[in-house]
Amino acid sequence: MEDEEEDPPLAVRIDETTHEFSNSHENDDVSVGVTVITGFLGAGKSTLVNYILNGKHGKRIAVILNEFGEEIGVERAMINEGEGGALVEEWVELANGCICCTVKHSLVQALEQLVQRKERLDHILLETTGLANPAPLASVLWLDDQLESAVRLDSIITVVDAKNLLFQIDKYRHLSSYPEAIHQIAFADVVILNKVDLVSPERSGDSLDELEKEIHEINSLAHVIRSVRCQVDLSEVLNCRAYDATHVTRLEGLLEEHQYKSSQNLHDNNVRTLSICEPLAVNLDKVRLWLEEILWDKKDGMDVYRCKGVLSVKHSDQLHTLQAVREIYEIVPARKWRTEEKQMNKIVFIGHHLNQDILQDSLRTCTLATT
Amino acid sequence: MAGGSDAAETTSLSCVRCGKPAHLQCPKCMELKLPREGAAFCTQDCFKASWTSHKSVHLKAKLSAPGTGENSSLVSEGWRYCIKKGQARTPKLPHFDWTGTLRPYPISSKLTVPAYIELPDWALDGTPKVEPNSDLQHVVEIKTPDQIERMRETCRIAREVLDAAARMIRPGVTTDEIDRVVHEATITAGSDLSNAVIEDTPLLSIIISSQSLAARRSVNEVICHGIPDSRKLEDGDIVNIDVTVYYKGVHGDLNETYFVGNADEASRQLVQCTYECLEKAISIVFGSKFDISIPIFLISVKPGVRFREIGEVINRHATMSGFSVVKSYCGHGIGELFHCAPNIPHYSRNKAVGVMKVGQTFTIEPMINAGIPWTSREVVVAVSWSSGTSMVCGMQLACRTLMSTAGWDRLGCVLTLFSVVGLEDVVEAEHQSKVAGFVWFGSSAYASGHGPWVWFVVAGLPQLNLSDCNSLLFFSQHLKSIQFIVGVWRDRMWPDGWTAVTADGKRSAQFEHTLLVTETGVEVLTARLPSSPKVRSVNAKSKMDFGPLLTLAVEFVKINLFVMGAQ
Repeated sequence: MEDEEEDPPLAVRIDETTHEFSNSHENDDVSVGVTVITGFLGAGKSTLVNYILNGKHGKRIAVILNEFGEEIGVERAMINEGEGGALVEEWVELANGCICCTVKHSLVQALEQLVQRKERLDHILLETTGLANPAPLASVLWLDDQLESAVRLDSIITVVDAKNLLFQIDKYRHLSSYPEAIHQIAFADVVILNKVDLVSPERSGDSLDELEKEIHEINSLAHVIRSVRCQVDLSEVLNCRAYDATHVTRLEGLLEEHQYKSSQNLHDNNVRTLSICEPLAVNLDKVRLWLEEILWDKKDGMDVYRCKGVLSVKHSDQLHTLQAVREIYEIVPARKWRTEEKQMNKIVFIGHHLNQDILQDSLRTCTLATT
Repeated sequence: MAGGSDAAETTSLSCVRCGKPAHLQCPKCMELKLPREGAAFCTQDCFKASWTSHKSVHLKAKLSAPGTGENSSLVSEGWRYCIKKGQARTPKLPHFDWTGTLRPYPISSKLTVPAYIELPDWALDGTPKVEPNSDLQHVVEIKTPDQIERMRETCRIAREVLDAAARMIRPGVTTDEIDRVVHEATITAGSDLSNAVIEDTPLLSIIISSQSLAARRSVNEVICHGIPDSRKLEDGDIVNIDVTVYYKGVHGDLNETYFVGNADEASRQLVQCTYECLEKAISIVFGSKFDISIPIFLISVKPGVRFREIGEVINRHATMSGFSVVKSYCGHGIGELFHCAPNIPHYSRNKAVGVMKVGQTFTIEPMINAGIPWTSREVVVAVSWSSGTSMVCGMQLACRTLMSTAGWDRLGCVLTLFSVVGLEDVVEAEHQSKVAGFVWFGSSAYASGHGPWVWFVVAGLPQLNLSDCNSLLFFSQHLKSIQFIVGVWRDRMWPDGWTAVTADGKRSAQFEHTLLVTETGVEVLTARLPSSPKVRSVNAKSKMDFGPLLTLAVEFVKINLFVMGAQ
């Protein structure tokens, strides 16, 4: 009560307060990319992480080391701060087991808090344990754009050991269950084929080509990078924007190459890639129903892991992109079709028990006029 | 309307003392985050003249802040402030940059539950044990007839408990007292329903979240999960009570927002809109063009509807009414687990998985905030002009100009009507906009003191900032300025780790039901009973009031865009 003065202070112009709002929104403009790094034990995940953290790239990167799993409720984070890239250790607390109905998983909330606390963070790496299937993590991190989260899923990178990969793939080919290593390749956006120097020199050219071919047989969408000790070009590894619906360029390139390239041996039980193509424009509602039948109802026993494509939609001049991870999918208009482009539908599926004919024919029905 | 009224149109605030348009505000009020309506003045002289009486507003705000006599006596009796999600208590109010005027008050010690009552696994510390790892987080359960029967019972009990709480609501009652009533009512219900054949009487009332939302002059901010405490409800508050009951192994979950005493018009509109959002979500009526808020309770949610659609319906209705949807919390599957699949966001363009099937049970619980939504990809731009007859032409001109100058290739448009304009004008406006190649989202109605407003929803836009606006201003002699309505759907968490509040301190309301999908559509398990008290919350059949609505929301307006005279 004593604080109140006899004379009033100087009143402030009302429109000056606009700035608080514009400031708070500026920070949200640029979301930080999160890269999930997975790979079999010993393939070189830690090597990759260290290489990125210690590199002289001027980027401020945080690495979340998923060492403890979910029991303890914290994750250890290493962040390279300062000029020399000195590493700083931090603890990221997960809000475990909240019984409220939150849209964002506790891991996402923890990452957002990390981004908020740091003045500037350019990228986040999430290193998973060797046996992890990245699909659940992808579902958690692939947020709706509407949430305008401070973080976004950038890509899933799988590190594989060139020396042992062929052996691992051969071994599982005749089994009915799928080792996680295969899942990790199936869900990857980038595969780092590491330890190429350890592959026997006299056969190295052939071997590596064969390895890449094997990887593409499982996942034709993945970008394969050969490396020694995970010394990769960072521009190929960070800011991939693999889940950005409007980032069409790389998608188009991939779809171009694999136009009709589907895996051989389509009828065995393994995880495979196939692509379908349809020149006529499709009805958007029908395509949604078609996709939902495949992803949600497991139509004809097909199990789709990932799906990416470009759609030519009736009554629209927009090129639509299609992206799916397990049951979660998104179809979004990305940009106008260019006049020189041939408008068509191209979709790549990765999964098992896929049937090319069924997929091709059922997509064809989506081009028909509404019944 | 031209030239002279320029200054007036930059703000809709009036001087507290003389009623003229205001451009100045009291810095002390700003510091205390008090609402601008009470802090606006037209000139320094007016401000000075009313200072003696005005400063009592600051005093009142300070007194109602905690740490004063009332609370310290409670603290000495063992009441504490909650922190760390209820796992710890502290005698002093935690430090926080509060978004509005509401503060937490000390809470009482935990109420005990009779030993014969079966508790869900999360009752002890709020952390579920079975739930997170259950398969039911990924697959939506189809309930068995037995489970459905149990849920009907449980939900009915939940409704009765909520009604008991509702009867308590009046100024002067603390939310803690309401919590006790809920606690007793639930345990009693459990005992009464105890079946002599069954050994245990499984029933428990849990987490009554009382969210106190002070309307009127103060800001009301709590979105959800508020904790019952020693604050007395005040006349003009709006309060949401959320009750969840666990009985015979299943959960029932519902909440409603009530008025305490007499609530002001803006609060009524907010609560009305929120109720309608829930109604519409339940009764998804496809193909409705003009959401002029006539609630149509046709039960046509049926098997086959996508969960994703619920968010579209809620978002559309809230946006049209000038409010925003909270995005951080969602509806959820419910049954033996408190929260399980499906996840049902309340915002549009979400990637919710799945379609409704017979036998599924889930909740829909929209939280709606006062204020117009704005995201970095959608900008709501207000345009207004002078007369109704040239409205359509004026809109076309504005659209074309905006699109060409800003290089936007898509523009959505939400048209608002004056009450004098008839429906046929809306039809014409829609037609014209489609001819011009725009995406028509729908229409909403309200009037403000400065002429009809048109809201443009621009989709797919990269960041639009103030410099873009300035270039738009230069371009067309018809445009005077551009108005951005800033988004308020964001929420923040209080130090207690539970209470979610709006980031800007404005009001929020919520309604929730637990639903069962049936062959013919939907059964609202937590529906009102004939015995439910006739609280003055919302009348399900009332129409939207076309009066001077949302003038408070317009305070977010920064610059104005006007189309002069049109063709």
